[in-house]
Amino acid sequence: MSKHSRRDFMVRTAAAGMLTLGADHLLAQEGESKKPGDMAIARWTGAKRLTARQIDRIAAQLTEKAIEGIGGLKRFVSRGDVVWVKPNIGWDRTPELAADTNPSVVATIVRLCFDAGAKTVKVGDNPCDLAAKTYKSSGIADAVRPLGAKVVFLDRSRFRETAIRGERVKTIPTCPEILDSDLVINVPVAKHHGLAKATLCMKNYMGVIENRRSFHQDIPTCVADLTRFMKPQVCILDAMRVLTAHGPKGGNPADVQLKTTVAAGVDIVALDALGAELLGMKPADIGSIVKGQEVGLGKMDYRSLAPRQIAVS
Amino acid sequence: MSRRRLFWSAASTRRTVQAVFLLLFLGLVVVARPVPETQPSLLLKSFFWIDPLIMVATWLAAHAVPAAALLSLVVVVGTLVLGRVFCGWVCPLGTVHAMAGRFFDRWWPKSKRRDHSSPWQLTKYYLLVGLLVMAVFGVHWVCVWDPIVLFYRSTTVALMPAVQWAVEEGSTAIYQADPGIGPVHVTGVTEPVYEFMRDHVFVVPQQAFLGSWLILVFFVMIVLANGYRRRFWCRYLCPLGALLGILARWPMLRRTVSEDACNQCDLCAKGCHGAASEAAGSRWKPSECFGCLNCTGACSRGAIDFRWTWPWRRQPAAGSIDLSKRAVLGAMLGGLIGLPLMRAGRQSRGGTFHPKLIRPPGSRGEREFLKRCTACGLCMKICPTGGLQPVLTEAGLEGLWTPRLVPRIGYCDYTCNLCGQVCPTEAITPLSVEAKQQVKIGLASFDTTRCIPYAYGRDCMVCEEHCPIPDKAIYFLEIEVQDHDGNRKQIKQPHVDPGRCIGCGVCESVCPLKDRPGVSVFSANETRNPDNQPILPEQDPY
Repeated sequence: MSKHSRRDFMVRTAAAGMLTLGADHLLAQEGESKKPGDMAIARWTGAKRLTARQIDRIAAQLTEKAIEGIGGLKRFVSRGDVVWVKPNIGWDRTPELAADTNPSVVATIVRLCFDAGAKTVKVGDNPCDLAAKTYKSSGIADAVRPLGAKVVFLDRSRFRETAIRGERVKTIPTCPEILDSDLVINVPVAKHHGLAKATLCMKNYMGVIENRRSFHQDIPTCVADLTRFMKPQVCILDAMRVLTAHGPKGGNPADVQLKTTVAAGVDIVALDALGAELLGMKPADIGSIVKGQEVGLGKMDYRSLAPRQIAVS
Repeated sequence: MSRRRLFWSAASTRRTVQAVFLLLFLGLVVVARPVPETQPSLLLKSFFWIDPLIMVATWLAAHAVPAAALLSLVVVVGTLVLGRVFCGWVCPLGTVHAMAGRFFDRWWPKSKRRDHSSPWQLTKYYLLVGLLVMAVFGVHWVCVWDPIVLFYRSTTVALMPAVQWAVEEGSTAIYQADPGIGPVHVTGVTEPVYEFMRDHVFVVPQQAFLGSWLILVFFVMIVLANGYRRRFWCRYLCPLGALLGILARWPMLRRTVSEDACNQCDLCAKGCHGAASEAAGSRWKPSECFGCLNCTGACSRGAIDFRWTWPWRRQPAAGSIDLSKRAVLGAMLGGLIGLPLMRAGRQSRGGTFHPKLIRPPGSRGEREFLKRCTACGLCMKICPTGGLQPVLTEAGLEGLWTPRLVPRIGYCDYTCNLCGQVCPTEAITPLSVEAKQQVKIGLASFDTTRCIPYAYGRDCMVCEEHCPIPDKAIYFLEIEVQDHDGNRKQIKQPHVDPGRCIGCGVCESVCPLKDRPGVSVFSANETRNPDNQPILPEQDPY
């Protein structure tokens, strides 16, 4: 904790110093970089019938391209950073059932984090099913361990009651190890959700907390509260396989559709809108997307961001 | 001449062997954990499979035993040859009693007063006879008191959770206070220890068992009884000890006392674990002797020796058990009287089912289940959600401490079949994961006075989200509700599809209402009891 405070202090001091010294210059630069790549959508345009192996290989390729399209991870990761990669590892299901993020997408992000200079990359989620089984069956633990990532099981007894100061959520137990990381990369899978209609980037932050069951009484507001607290920097949406019914847990292969798409971006609402369309829904029908735009988390009309479209075949 | 002078005495060898078996037993308790995508080792059941009492009682009650239980013939043959060495050298509960006895000998010498065998030691034989008579009629209850079962259950249900409580609460308190001097923090030591225990020893966080206090009280009582008489449980009560005692009537290894050398000092009886002799220098009862070899070491004249002989030889002389015919008949009568008393409960007659007696998936019908279940607790130990709990009253006296699923504590995991894999007597039949997913253990039902969408007009559906059935056994209907201020809105109300629900209890487990859930699972529709199936199947699954 003390380490974090010190780092935090130094970062803030440096930021404040830079702002006073060259605020104009910095802002100008940021404005420029925004145009070419705040969102990139990489799509596979090759063969439609693919084996699981091919899907994994394509997933890695698309993830690389999508991240390249927003300027690469160097834009977000500084040398020596501790990065938390936050996939959706919610359910004890195999990758073919699309209830969890594609392991190949997660593994590629881990590799790119190390390439960008990260000191430590941690991968973890707060699963709904039994954590040990879910990490295993999702394929994510086995995919990222050989790359040097630390697979972390969140320990609920080490969670900290944290002030969220949202509209509905005031305080909630959060995982300190995630919040203490220098960067959290949000890597959800696009899925149907029985109550919320869709679960995408914003809702994926529910894996950082505990006591989340009462959120269901007002998912849009609670999820928006949590997203504002998490201050998303970069999200990568996995839509390789999407679950279109009986979500979020699924389990029936007939409910899974192959979309072979990976999108990366800094606007979480825009990515969620894209995800909703991939699921065959209207973004305006998804409560959390509407709410997200309303509270200023991003733009629902993702096309206005002129996302870079990358076709891979 | 004197064996006591030897650096490494026979008793030291025995203590080493005892320690090895005790550690092996405890090690097998600790490693009985769910490991993803790994089948549990058959070794987990080894102590139960070598136990002849479990074999005999299960065979009498159910007329069937798993083939592996025939391994207990090794102990039977071993006892015929060597006497009750299982009690003295192998039995882990016996070792706990031996350790407690040593402690009390040192700090509470009163326990030495009774060195010679007492007629009360016959109690265990009469109990065994009575209980085995009941077993013939299908009451398997004797196994609940088998020492291996008793110790496994006590360790799993009472002792391990106590260790876990201490480690979890202690390390969490230190983590929160974070004491330390400069860069050195106590958590540098406590956190790695805690993390190791969490990842390699504990099964679920904050594991605890309902009614563990009764199991603990019984265990503590029999350990404390060593202060009154050394190895009180083994001498007076143990049903396995009694069974082995009967087998040890004419062992091939027998104690001889040289008449010339013996001066009747009675030192040999001072350290005797089993109180196997009747008086100084007098008859030795092989049925009471644990082969602890304390006597050979204690004798300063080297008068005591163990020698080989044939079972049919009457020399060296071996004292009989001295069972009274009248008492044996009384015990049998007692068993016959106990039988209707035990079975007279409402549930035992069939037709009545306790709504919260949800047995693990694959469990046999209640009557057949009770003929096999020893209440050892192995299924409770390995259950990955910690939902299997010992029954106290729900299954009658006959079902004391047998397992049931308590969904509020832990649900039945959809892709897990461990309980059936580890059950040593196949009271829970071993099933493949696919077969287990077809077994119904109960049926969910909504309490519309509690369930949030029904009672309070808000969306919830956490249960539907967690329902593991691919096509969902919980579905919802959209209805319009009106709140206090007159606003109308659409909400989703959950319903159970009884054809699809398998009763796993995850809905009850995750219901946001933590005091009394809005959805509960009851035993109705359980596959194992055809009489308890009110729902007509949609179509025949077979």
